[in-house]
Amino acid sequence: METVLVALKDSLILSVKLFLIILPLSIFHEFLKGRGSGLSKKHFAFLGISRSGLVPLVTGIIIGLTYGAGVIIHSIRTSDIGKKEAFLILLFLSICHAMIEDTLIFVVIGANGFILIAFRFVLAIILTYAIHRSRIFRTPEGGKE
Amino acid sequence: MKSDNYLPVLRKGFVNGIAVTFTMVKVIVPFYIVIEFIKKTGLIPVISDFFKPFMQLIGLPGEAALGLMAGYFINLYAAIAVITPLDLSAKDITIAALVLGISHSLPLETAVTKQTGVNAWVLMFARVFFSLLSGVMLNIIWKLFS
Repeated sequence: METVLVALKDSLILSVKLFLIILPLSIFHEFLKGRGSGLSKKHFAFLGISRSGLVPLVTGIIIGLTYGAGVIIHSIRTSDIGKKEAFLILLFLSICHAMIEDTLIFVVIGANGFILIAFRFVLAIILTYAIHRSRIFRTPEGGKE
Repeated sequence: MKSDNYLPVLRKGFVNGIAVTFTMVKVIVPFYIVIEFIKKTGLIPVISDFFKPFMQLIGLPGEAALGLMAGYFINLYAAIAVITPLDLSAKDITIAALVLGISHSLPLETAVTKQTGVNAWVLMFARVFFSLLSGVMLNIIWKLFS
């Protein structure tokens, strides 16, 4: 019984810490949605990602695949983003997404946030650039190896 | 944005934050309690020994395999609930966070990826592969600089 109480207390303390991170993030998320796509002017062209691809890309990097799902799916389906570009966007996001929340919730339990962010950004850029430059998409079908 | 628009946005963000926290608590509390019980049964060393050879590659103790599996198959909150009671070092937590940050909630997020029309299976395997590779790399880098 004591084990349950201690675990209950510890897990609730952890939940409160995470709540303090999640609450401002979800408010920030709503404001970000209000601002729309005027957010970014930088080009990701060297990775094969165009201006219209920036909406799903930035949404995924900041908010993540789970909570950003609506925006990401909608913006990829309803824009002129091609199959190759969609793959590159999702590839980048596979490595590098929900960078604020994922990083902070691990920082709460003792991780080094700087290493996490730097490592994931660098890996995502290298990988996306490599696939963009490779011959994988030169085949008529595209999208598959 | 007009100033009279701030309040509904703030409200929506607040409501969402509460909703997410509620989902999170429902995952974290039971997992935390289960792990505390498993710790009591003495099963942790058995599980740890089993995964040790593999987990050593990414520089994590064997029992961290439980956290990785919880993260891969369920979500990050489950993973955190499993990892926190294990009392790992800062290095171990950073490596686990890197592996899990890249690859987590695979059933749910692969479904999202599939909806965009790209080959979601390729990306799922890429995520798992690169998450583990990143763990190996960070383990080596960390050792070099410490």
